[in-house]
Parts: sequence; structure tokens; C-alpha cells
Amino acid sequence: MSDSSKTFVVSSTGQLWKASTRRSFLKLLGVGGTIVLAPGLFEACDGYTATAPGGGGGGGSASLDLSNDTGILNYAYALEQLEAAFYTAVVGSATFALLNAEQQEVMTDLRNHEVIHREFLKAALGGSAIGALALNPTAVAATLTSAAVILKNAEAFEDLGVSAYNGAGKYLTDSGHLTLAGKIVSVEARHAAAIRDIRDALGVTGGTAVGTRFAGDDVVASTGANAGLDVKLEPSSVLSRVASTGLVTTSLSIGKPPTGTATPDAGPPSPTP
Amino acid sequence: MEHTETIFGRIEPDITQRLVTRREAILKGAAVGSTIAAGLAMASAPIALAALSREAFGQSAPLSVQAVLNFALMLEIFENEFYKAVLGISAVSAQNAAFAPVRATVPATALPAIMQIQKHETEHVAFLTANGAVNTLNLDGTSFDFTGARGAGNGPFAQATTDLNFLLLTAQGAEDTGVRAYKGQAPALQVNPPVLEAALRIHSVEARHASKIRRLRRMTGASGVKYSGTITGGGITAAGAANVANPPQGALDALTLIYAGEDNLIQGGVDVTTLPNQASGVNPNAATEAFDEPLTAAQVVAIVQPFFIPSLS
Repeated sequence: MSDSSKTFVVSSTGQLWKASTRRSFLKLLGVGGTIVLAPGLFEACDGYTATAPGGGGGGGSASLDLSNDTGILNYAYALEQLEAAFYTAVVGSATFALLNAEQQEVMTDLRNHEVIHREFLKAALGGSAIGALALNPTAVAATLTSAAVILKNAEAFEDLGVSAYNGAGKYLTDSGHLTLAGKIVSVEARHAAAIRDIRDALGVTGGTAVGTRFAGDDVVASTGANAGLDVKLEPSSVLSRVASTGLVTTSLSIGKPPTGTATPDAGPPSPTP
Repeated sequence: MEHTETIFGRIEPDITQRLVTRREAILKGAAVGSTIAAGLAMASAPIALAALSREAFGQSAPLSVQAVLNFALMLEIFENEFYKAVLGISAVSAQNAAFAPVRATVPATALPAIMQIQKHETEHVAFLTANGAVNTLNLDGTSFDFTGARGAGNGPFAQATTDLNFLLLTAQGAEDTGVRAYKGQAPALQVNPPVLEAALRIHSVEARHASKIRRLRRMTGASGVKYSGTITGGGITAAGAANVANPPQGALDALTLIYAGEDNLIQGGVDVTTLPNQASGVNPNAATEAFDEPLTAAQVVAIVQPFFIPSLS
């Protein structure tokens, strides 16, 4: 296994003052390792001003090395963590009781599936897994204020997941990893179609003709050389969108870009109608 | 030696490299169906090439990128012609006529969805063709028997032409097969990243289709199907066919093939029902729903062959 799969975890601020820590940082930066600043690392720092989205300190950061499969799978793990956290919050929210039976069934299923995806990737990554992402509770609460808001956010998450897997698949080198990613992305697409179909029936038709939102023209290209193809986004674009939600206080960044050639982005509408 | 240049660059000329002779093709076991025999008798190059590409779909080694493109095109033409017949817009009036009874029962609210799905299948045919896929069997609307009887017209899926529940079950099976087929071929495309990405982007569209069909079925009484559009369990259970009256054994057999292995719980060597933080009582169902499973090309051929008049292997 290459050094680039090694993770150096800074769990106390005292480490940052040590020469050995600086050597480890530089060594890992040289071979593409991952440096994880444990969530909450800076909470005890006097006068520290956080720059992470959401403000107020805490959250830490995680730098993803996308030049190898471990980094790509950690990228997927980060996204599944976010989805699982959202749906867990949905099912536990006061608003959940306001959803109709179909919506409750769907939200519960999606919670179940995303938790499995998250736990699976965590188990598969083992010691190479990034830590738990820290979330901004105020921002999370804002995604749960009504059925319509929940559904809008669900659509955004699912389309983003499809975009991410579709854009990252080409960077995986191990065929077993690609197959696993393939097994997950089609489920995310089923989720996306279901949420979109529910919103369609509720009258949400921004960018789509009535009755077609499940695979609407806003996500499945309807013109040009790529007509018929679904959304895809490069990892940097996905992480930009994640950052702009303000939900994650852990700062996610790309420490090393993917090996391979990026393709033009074709993302879902942003903001989500 | 000829190569096929596309925007993806040179594609492995797996088919064209091999010498094609009548005797060789027969010795390789090409099926001597009427179309093929006639083609071989005329020493017609496209038909002989077709014989070799048919053979390619059944082999155990990974398919070449060209073979995967051809394979995908074959399936997209099949789906497209199916939906055209259902909608009454096939170039073959007999196909349109066959589906007229059930077409009259499709709710108006479901029509935009079916039209959107068919639009995508047309676009997939066009995309694959523009990017190097070859219709080696010269498939068109006349190439299919959607009752599943290789042309006899009286196969186990005949009820799809008269019964809405059966039609939707058939569409579900077709879409889920498409998802599993693309998924099975992803590793073979890793050598060509742009083609792989395109295939992934078509694969997820088919999954959206499959989800919508399942939701339509749940809304029209198929209680064993989830509103989330995901697949619970495997085999015949995963088809959720309980709302179909008196399905022929042949249809149940086909559905059993379509959903074979979908109840797999071992992912990357891990039994996913043993993972932590699962809500009580959700497994094994949630675990089977959370992952869709691939099919090999040979498995797909076994599933779809009854609907194709020409031989696929």
C-alpha cells in the first residue's frame, strides 16, 4: 500500500508546536497523504477565529487525496455522512409527523439506505477513513422547517450524490471499487427520481415538464451531444456545493487532485428550485 | 487492419480483427437461424460480423469496449422499440396494434413519464451510435417479439399488451435489467474513462426510469414495491408481482432471472446487516435495497433473448 493512504491525525494543539509534527506534515504532503485535524481541535484555542463555514470555531478540516482510490472512497464517505445525517435529522424532526405516509416511507427508506452506505464505506476504509464530519446545528435545523423544505433539500442531496459518483467513477482504478460505487449510484438515482416525483406531484415544476421531473430535462440533458445523459460533477465542484450549504463545519478540501482527465461538468440546477 | 476512430479515440477492433469466413463462423457455433443462414449463404459481411459479435456477448472474459458499446446499443434499441410500441409510435404498425388495448388503459397522468422514458431511450440509441456502437444485428422494430416468444407472438408476456399491471411489471423488468446490465459492464470500460463516464451517466438515467415505474406500480396497487423506487430482496420477490393476476410461469421464470442475486448482503466481503448504527428491524430489507447488483452479459442475454427474433448467442 502506498504512503498516500496514510493519515496523520492532529488531535491536540500541543502537537502543532513540535518539530516532529512539522516533519510529518511535510513528509505526508510530499507523498500525498491525508492530514486530518480532528474535529474540535481548535475549540480550546484562545482567540482562534474559525474560517470554516458556519463560523464560531470547531469542525476541523479534512484534506482529501483524490489521486488514489482511498481518497475517492473517502470523498464518497464524506458525502454519505452528510446525507445520512440529513435523513436521520429528518426522521427525528418535528416536521416528520407532518409528512404524508408516502413521504414518511420514503424518508425512512432513504435514512436506512444512506446510513448503510455511510457505515459500509467507513468499514471498508478502516483506518484510512476520515473522521466524522462536524455539522452546524443551526444550518441543519433550517433544512427541516417544512415538508416542502425537506423535500427540496432531499432532491438537492440526491442529485448531488448522483453527480458525484458519476463524475468520480472514472478516477477509480480498482474494478472492485468501481463496482461498489456502481451499486450505490443507481440507488441514489432511484432516490433522486422518487423525491423528484413526489415534488412533481406537489406542483414543483421548475425546469421540468409536469410528470417528468423524476428524470427531468434539468438533470437528464435534452439537447446536444450528451442528450440522454444524467448529471455529473467533478469532485471540486461537488465540494464547492457542499461548502456553500453551510451545513458542514469540517472544512473539506482536495489535497491532491484526481489522476486523470476532468470532463465538463453537467450538474443539477443550483439553487434547487 | 481497420480501426474505428471516434471522439473517444481508437477503440479496440476486437471484432474486425478476426477473419470472417462462412466455415469459420459455423465452426464457431454461430446459430443457424434463418436470418443468419441466409446472411452466411450470401457471404454478407455485416451478417457474418454479427455472428461474431453475438458470440462475443456470451464469452466469460471481459468484453472489449467495442463489444460493450454494441451490447448497450442492442439493449437500448430493444427498450426504445418496446416503448414506441406501447405509445403507438413504432414504425411497425403491427407492433403498435399489438399494444393498442393496453395503451387505452394507461392513465393520462402516467403518459408524460412514459414519453420521457422513451425520449431518453431514443437519445441513448443516438448517443451510443454517434460514439462508435454498431448495430451488428441490424435491429429495428421488426426484430422483437415483446410477448417473449422469439417471433411466435404468444409468449409469457402477452398480457403486457392487454393488462396495465402486467405492462408496468414488464417495463419494470426491462428497466431493472438495463441498470444491472450497464453496472455489470463498468469494469470492462475502465480502459476508456470517457466511455466509462458516459455509461455511468446512462446507467443512472435507467435507474431513475426504474424507480418511476416502481412508483407507478405502487400507486396502482403493487403493495410489495417501495415508494423509494428501490428493490427489496431478490428473485421473484423483488419483482413485487403480486398485483398481477395469473402470471404465466414463463413470466415468473423471467422475473426470477432478472432479479437473481438482488438480495445479496455481502458487499466488499462485509455482511452489511452487521454494520453498526442500523435502526432496529430495517434489515435485511434495507440492506438489499441499498445496493443494486450487476448482471453479466451472459445473464442479460439469457433474460432478453426471448424478446429478440435474431439469436444473441
